Amino acid sequence: MLLEVLQGTEAGGFILIQDSVNYCGRHLLKSCINTALKREEVVHVLGFEVSQEELNDGLDRTSAQRLHFHNAYSDPLGWTGNSPFTVHQFTLEDIGTLLKQTPQAKAVTLVIDSLSWILRHHDPAAICQKLQALKKGGVVRAVIGLLHSDLHQRGTVGSICHLATSVITVAPGTRGLGAVAKITRRTKSGKLMQDEEIFSINEDLTVTIQSKRSHPGSTPMNTDESEVDPTAHLTFNLRLSDTQREAKEKLPLPFVFSKEKKSALLHPGTGSGRILYEPDANDDYDQEDPDDDLDV
Amino acid sequence: MFAELNSILNTSPDSFKPGEFILVSDKHTDASFLIHHFLSFYLRAGCKVCFLGLVQSFSHYSAISQRLGVSLTQAREKGQLVFLEGLKESLGVLLQGEASKGTRAVDFLRDPSSGLRGLYDFVRDNVRGAVGGGEEWGPPVLLVDDLSVVLSLGVSVGAALDFSHYCRATVCSELQGSMVMLVRCEAEEEEESDDEGSERLLRGLIHQCSLTLQVQGLPTGYCRDIHGQVEVCWRGQCDRQQTQKKLFQYKVHDKGASFFARGMSSAVL
Repeated sequence: MLLEVLQGTEAGGFILIQDSVNYCGRHLLKSCINTALKREEVVHVLGFEVSQEELNDGLDRTSAQRLHFHNAYSDPLGWTGNSPFTVHQFTLEDIGTLLKQTPQAKAVTLVIDSLSWILRHHDPAAICQKLQALKKGGVVRAVIGLLHSDLHQRGTVGSICHLATSVITVAPGTRGLGAVAKITRRTKSGKLMQDEEIFSINEDLTVTIQSKRSHPGSTPMNTDESEVDPTAHLTFNLRLSDTQREAKEKLPLPFVFSKEKKSALLHPGTGSGRILYEPDANDDYDQEDPDDDLDV
Repeated sequence: MFAELNSILNTSPDSFKPGEFILVSDKHTDASFLIHHFLSFYLRAGCKVCFLGLVQSFSHYSAISQRLGVSLTQAREKGQLVFLEGLKESLGVLLQGEASKGTRAVDFLRDPSSGLRGLYDFVRDNVRGAVGGGEEWGPPVLLVDDLSVVLSLGVSVGAALDFSHYCRATVCSELQGSMVMLVRCEAEEEEESDDEGSERLLRGLIHQCSLTLQVQGLPTGYCRDIHGQVEVCWRGQCDRQQTQKKLFQYKVHDKGASFFARGMSSAVL
């Protein structure tokens, strides 16, 4: 499902990539950008967290003229006074003018790297409204955002996730191989699909799915399993016939005392062994019968 | 400067990767020996060093560097080292109040909500001057010991992250220098309850940096021969290679430190 989300052909989508300190989601973001470029789309990047050189590294060079980087990295707060884009300009009008700088009327993808930066300086509710407006506004075809989920309160992360059509949560894979992506995808009809896949990112930023791990919640109506009789192909018998039960009930259990057994033990026949005990001078001989309390 | 650490990090004063942001953090122990290491490392490499010493006096750093074979006083006189003595500056601000003349670097003491812009301006002026001034020093280096102190002075986590972002954009990206920051984590058990704190600062910085050295005390408690463990983690920023982690144990000596793989202490073997 990860590949389908990355290919994402539906309009008005909002793909959210969530990462944490354990695994950086920027590589996946880059491969998102690359696939969008390969689809002949115009990509606008609001880059708060990495410089243009760092972002461009590894991206498809042949379509570089369709990639527009808006540098909010070097001066995001306007401290040095020569900022092309500040975090306070994250409004619909300003983004609109940015996007209009390119005359192409083609599909535009807006990449936000990262939402964490913006959320730190704005009210989360206002950001949610702006994102929703961007999604619906028709100016952009799709929005792709990166979010460092461990920097925010759970409620903030949750409300951003609610807005997204697809949420990809990345985490490091086990044994250091690849990475695990948990994907939640909301289709237009409102159906929710979840999946978990192990992926790796190649040198040319293409994504390879290594294996799929079906999420327990992804198949809610798994009915065919109940029809299978688990006792069908056993190598032993679970039921008893009447004669077998009778024979079983006749059998005395090993530690049940019957009358014969008791008398056989208490009155040993002649010729059986006896214990002769001659106490020593030092022996601590107890006069009481140790078996006094026994019922024999 | 610890030769063993250099070989672990695959670097040396003659050849080190430009544009690196190294984050040093400690928990249940003291990682300042790494700050002393990086200070002497970059001074030997001939870099222009800007040091924000917020927790100790100049003479403290000077005495330790002397042992590591670097003279801070000389470096300062030559103009290689710019040292912001946070303790002295802040005393000036706190005692004289509004009438202080000094730098605007510690402006945040007067009004913590205004952020660390003054401190950033101080850094920028010094590292920019290094490049423009035609001096013979190498790429600029910013060292901060330690950033979590500003949190206890009333600055918010967000403001501290803004500061480090600006420093990174200027020092690492624009001027191709390096940056080392120390963050001290409080050893708090209930992490969820107090989210606004050094843990959040640490996480925010990890997202920005390219290399982390996380120093921890031994989970089993104090030991005479092993002082703790350090987790070295390269965060694949430039190349596609994802995070790579290595764990070492260390012992700090009088004039250096030794690093070894887990369980390979000479006292054990």
